[in-house]
Amino acid sequence: MGSDCLTPEWASQPCLIGIDEAGRGPVLGPMVYGCMYCPVSYQSSLASLHFADSKTLKEEKREELYENLKLDNSLGWAVDVIDPRELSAKMLAKNKTNLNEISHNSAMGLIKRVLDMGVFLTEAYLDTVGDPEKYRIKLSERFPSIKFVVSKKADSLFPIVSGASIVAKVTRDRALREWLVEETGENINRNFGSGYPGDPETKAWLVQHKHSVFGFPSLVRFSWGTCTAHLKGEVEVAWEADETEESGNGSSSKRQAKLSSFGFKTCESRSEEIESSGKGRCKFFQARKIQQLTQF
Amino acid sequence: MGTIDLRAAADGNLFADLSSQVHQLPCCIRFDGPSEVSHYFKPKSSEVEIDGVKTEEAHFRGRKLQGATISLPSGYSGFVLGQASDLNANGKRKASSITDENPCWEAKAKFDNLTYWNHDNLPSKDDTFVRSFHWFNIAEALHKPVKVEDLVAAVSHGGKDQL
Repeated sequence: MGSDCLTPEWASQPCLIGIDEAGRGPVLGPMVYGCMYCPVSYQSSLASLHFADSKTLKEEKREELYENLKLDNSLGWAVDVIDPRELSAKMLAKNKTNLNEISHNSAMGLIKRVLDMGVFLTEAYLDTVGDPEKYRIKLSERFPSIKFVVSKKADSLFPIVSGASIVAKVTRDRALREWLVEETGENINRNFGSGYPGDPETKAWLVQHKHSVFGFPSLVRFSWGTCTAHLKGEVEVAWEADETEESGNGSSSKRQAKLSSFGFKTCESRSEEIESSGKGRCKFFQARKIQQLTQF
Repeated sequence: MGTIDLRAAADGNLFADLSSQVHQLPCCIRFDGPSEVSHYFKPKSSEVEIDGVKTEEAHFRGRKLQGATISLPSGYSGFVLGQASDLNANGKRKASSITDENPCWEAKAKFDNLTYWNHDNLPSKDDTFVRSFHWFNIAEALHKPVKVEDLVAAVSHGGKDQL
């Protein structure tokens, strides 16, 4: 999603880009990365566009600014809307990706997208994620032709970043408002509030929508501490990925999971336990995890 | 020793067909009982096709699952078993008692295929679950009645060929 997919006519002039995110903290809904870019020569006009700090703006004011920005032909913009299911899946994967990495990749993806459109980017301004200097180095290595400025509170320092911040925030607010909850079922409603863990409306929604087996609707970020805390009393689900971490053997050899760890109530007799671990069974059965069951 | 009663399978009307509704998940859910699976578990077919099999995508407790639906080979059926009722057709208690040493199971539903799911990895022919189906072929070869001609052929080839 972005401004005209057509390359802007000023694309061959030196341009700068600002990048910011919205929705990093909430326990539900998408996280959105937004960017805004324009010719370097247009920079002085930006200051007069009164972006200020998007977080202090009211929602209606933000929406108004966003619509005005879209009408400005000297500005381009683009967003990356990261689905909460993708956040959960990546952070809970066998090879985990942490939130900072996900953020960095999204920002770099936006830069690449704008470059691929033929825009001649020479400067980039970003709000920091993690250590600013490390992030700056990472970005410079990936895009050697761009001069990067990475700092905290970049959206209040650089108008191009506060523009990006508005784009991200409005996109996130709209996405949340229009979010299609996949899960059917009578007791599911859309009164989830802002999605921030401290928001009383969000807290109440979480408590109300907790399910003993399924946890929550997939709108919720399962990798969040808030979420795991809520699910502590519910049905326990054990994953192979978690088990290999806990066993802490150091060796990554695949140990055969016992039938009993999959909830099968077999006889507790010694012979059944040996049978279940695969010891002494011929390789054909061991490899296929087939066990003879004479009683159940 | 125990019994498994599959007689209800013969009457199609009494029986639920759960084909395309049986799922093997890559995790252990420490719960037994009914749950609103169809409200929360929403598999979708993905674009990826592996070895001619269309893969599917789903999420459970935030984890991404990738799965494939495998048909049971012809000649085999899947059954969902439940504890047999204590009562016979007249509503009176059965004479034969059901005890721990004599568990009685009966078929409650059947299925012709099931979907197995991997966490993060695409399904493939090398998955343990798929390979476990090799047993069907082996069992058939092992237990197939041996014909006289087969014995003769095996002996005349110096006994080195397989039976």
